[in-house]
Parts: sequence; C-alpha cells; structure tokens
Amino acid sequence: MRADDGVMSLDFLAGFTIFLLALIMVVSMVPGLLAGLGSSSIDYDAVAYRTGVILVEDPGWPVYPPWEMNADPDEIERMGFSVSRETPNVLLSTKIERFFDSGFTAGDYRSKAIFGDYPYSYNISIRSLDGAYQNSTGEPLPPGHGYGYIRRVVKIKEPGVANIDDRFASQYAIPNPGAPEWNSTVRNFTVQLNFSKLLDPERDPAYRIDPRTEPVRVNIDFAQYCTDSSGATLQNVTFWKKDPTRPNARFTRIPFSYDEENADLYTLHTDGVPRSLAPGAPVKSSISLVLKPAATSQFTLDQNSILDIRFTFEDETPHTNITGIHHYDYNTTNVALPALQPAVLEVAIW
Amino acid sequence: MVSEEGQLYTMEGVAAGIIMLLAAYIAVSTTGIYTTGDTHIPDMQLEQLGSDVLAMMDTPDTAGDSKSDLENFVNTNNGDEFKKMFLSYCNATTSGDLDNLHMSAVVVYRSGGEIREHQFVAPDDNTWTGRENAVRVTRWVQLPTTRPAGMPTDMPNDRPKAVLVEVLLWRA
Repeated sequence: MRADDGVMSLDFLAGFTIFLLALIMVVSMVPGLLAGLGSSSIDYDAVAYRTGVILVEDPGWPVYPPWEMNADPDEIERMGFSVSRETPNVLLSTKIERFFDSGFTAGDYRSKAIFGDYPYSYNISIRSLDGAYQNSTGEPLPPGHGYGYIRRVVKIKEPGVANIDDRFASQYAIPNPGAPEWNSTVRNFTVQLNFSKLLDPERDPAYRIDPRTEPVRVNIDFAQYCTDSSGATLQNVTFWKKDPTRPNARFTRIPFSYDEENADLYTLHTDGVPRSLAPGAPVKSSISLVLKPAATSQFTLDQNSILDIRFTFEDETPHTNITGIHHYDYNTTNVALPALQPAVLEVAIW
Repeated sequence: MVSEEGQLYTMEGVAAGIIMLLAAYIAVSTTGIYTTGDTHIPDMQLEQLGSDVLAMMDTPDTAGDSKSDLENFVNTNNGDEFKKMFLSYCNATTSGDLDNLHMSAVVVYRSGGEIREHQFVAPDDNTWTGRENAVRVTRWVQLPTTRPAGMPTDMPNDRPKAVLVEVLLWRA
C-alpha cells in the first residue's frame, strides 16, 4: 500500500493559489492606483502642451530662408509660427498659411510639429477673433474627453502694404510740364526698401517689416497719374540692388525671370488683370504688386542692402506724369502696418 | 490517510474567492481615480492660458501705441473693460461653444513698507470653482508718478511705480 506521507492536501493547494492570485492582482493594481503617471491621458496632455509650445513660441527651423518658403517638406525640420524667439505668442501670418495649406501629410505634421514616438492622432486649429483666420488640420475630435488638450492665446502679425493713393498725388507727379524730365518718353517710379533701416535690431520683431519673411505689397492708384484716357504702357517692373558698404556702390539690375508669371515668387495685377513683370500693356487705373519672400531670398540681399522696385512706363508720347521714389519704411503714411490680430490656437492629441 | 471531508467546501471557497476578487478588480478598474499625479494638468492648462492672455493684453497692437491695453486699463483703473477683454480672450475657442471661465483681479502695490491690495475686478456672484482649483496669474505693470484716478489714496503719488496685476481664474 502506498504511504500518504508527503502528499499535499487539496486545501493547501487551493489556499496557496488564491493567495498567489490575490498577490498578483494587488501588485498589478497598486501603481495605477497611486501614481497614474503611466496613464495615456497624461501623455496626451504633455504632447499637446509640447506641440503648443513649438507652434506658438518657436519660429521653426530653418530660419533663413524660413521653413515656410521650402516647397519640399523634407527640408523642413520644425514648424513653428512665432515671428521670432524673442516674441512668443506673436505669430507670422505667412507661417500659419503655409502650415494649413494642403502641401503636408499627417506624417509631416507628426514629425515636424508633434514629435511623438507614437503615431498620435491630432487636431490643430486656429481662429482669429475677427474671423479672418479659421483653419484646422487633422482628424475630428473624438467624443468625450479622451484626448490631451492645450489652448493658447496669441496675436497674428500680417504684412504691411504701401498704398500709393491720392495722398501722394502731387508728391509723385512731375509738376511742371516744362521740366526737362517731361520731355523724356520714359517714366520711372521706384519703391525703395532700405534693409539697414527695415531690419534695425532696435526695432521689436513683432512690428518689424522683414521682406525676407513677409511679402512686400505695393498698390498704386494709377488713375491720378494718367494724363491720357488710353492709359500709360507699363513696360516692366524690375528689381535693382545696391550695397552701400562697398566702394563705388551703385544700383545693379538683379537677374530674374521677369517675363514668367510665377505666383510663388510674385503677383502683378494691372487694372485687375494678372501679368508677368514685363507686361508691355497699358494701365489706366491700378497696379498691384506682391513680392513674396521666396523671390526676395533669391536676390542675395543682406542687412545693408537697398532694394529698388522700379516701375518703367514708356510711350512715344508720355501718358503718365508719375515719377519719384516711394520709401517702403516705418513711416505709417508710406506703409500701413495692420494691427496685431488676437487669436486662439488649440491643439488636441489622442 | 488524507480525509475527504470538506473537499466540497474548499471548491466553493475557491469559486467564491475568485468571484469576489474579479468583482473587486472590475469595480476598481472601471472607476476613474483622480490621483495627485493628474491634478496639476488642468491647473497647468489654466495657468498657461491666463499667462497668455495677460501677455497678449500687454502687447500693443501697433508699434505706434505707447501703451498696451493692460497698461491702459490699469492706468485708468478700468476694471470693467479689463474684465471684458480678459474673458473674451480666455473663453475664445476655435470652434463650438465658448469656454466658461471666471475671474477676479487685484492690483498689488507697495505703500511705505507694506504690501497692499486694490480690488480691480470683483468676483462674479454665484460662481463656484467646481472640481478644479482656481489658479493665479500675474503681470507687472508700470504706473507713472501721478497716481491714476480711482486708485487707493495710499498708493504713492511721488514716484513711478510698478504694480502687480494678479488675476484669479477658475472654471465654473
């Protein structure tokens, strides 16, 4: 007969099993109960906060030429909206417009703004209080509160515009028909940008005119300078630069594809019709030029350069009396700088 | 020899024990426990929002503005307009309903050797903080030599001074 010595009783086995089960459950629940640091919602909040900081307090990378001018997303390292590092919460309109255009994939947003190890879902949106900006990207928010969230209050900086209207009627008109320049068949009108004044480091970046990052906009109310109802022929618009720090400094014409329309570099409208920079067409009422930073970056300008935008009119018998130099500077009569627009930016991550 | 008595009771005990443990586990895991690790997040979000609002109110809209909105409100002791702008910035969202934040504010200044407070914006009636804490955000503002009208008479009137605008912010 087999001895019973050393046989484990069923009571002991059951009791020990229950004890082990209880121990495993308690050990596995304790960290979740007390710390909660591993919970996904906290991670989502942290990622949302970080994304908000990158967008609102950082100008992005590269800086010059700025990331928003890179057509190729692979060349962008980080997308931030801030005008500069010194001006957190003051955002540049051109960066916002580029961020929300359709040129980026979800992967681009994840790798250049969210920087998560995990492929988070996201929704990033911005709205200015006046309604001029209303953009969003990403997926619709999930129901409930199962996502990380941050809201930032910001102001949006928009580019200035030189409106050459009736305030300048006498200033840029050849006053005396007997003057020698009246006899020439060519009329030149120049808009001049002096970078050493525009990029003065003393000026707060939140109110700086920086043609390297913002478009230069010129609107000419041309009717007041027309002396003939058939209009004056705008032969071309050309760019000239001068570096005053060099000996014998003088203006030289910048090589550029003047006769090709390219909306990424500039837009020119005469009487509301889009044109190249060499239209050779009559103008009766208005000229509107937007020179984009992508073009300015091709001009190899530095902080001492002077850039001339020269409008040349030519007719056998002159049909305009326009002349002179308009300074694109901080004089509010010359360039209207829009007020900063309050706005709100939201980031949701899940 | 091992007795067979009680074996049935043991099996019942095992089953009951497992059921109890499962019930406890399900109950605990389905309940959101608000731990100390979580509480700082709404506080941080609210504090960041309040700081942003004060910073933006302290940023002039154009370079030609000599003073920011915040400076103007404090310099003219205009608590009503301060509150209106602060809440309009704070409660704005990109879509959907406005948020429901409330605030009160004091201006803290030095008078002689003492720190005094001037009630700049009184809290709303009948608003409660609910589950979340109220947060405090501050911003320094420069005042000119002459004491703004409406400010307490013990505020210095013979020197330029810096006062601290302190806003208490909560979600109702």
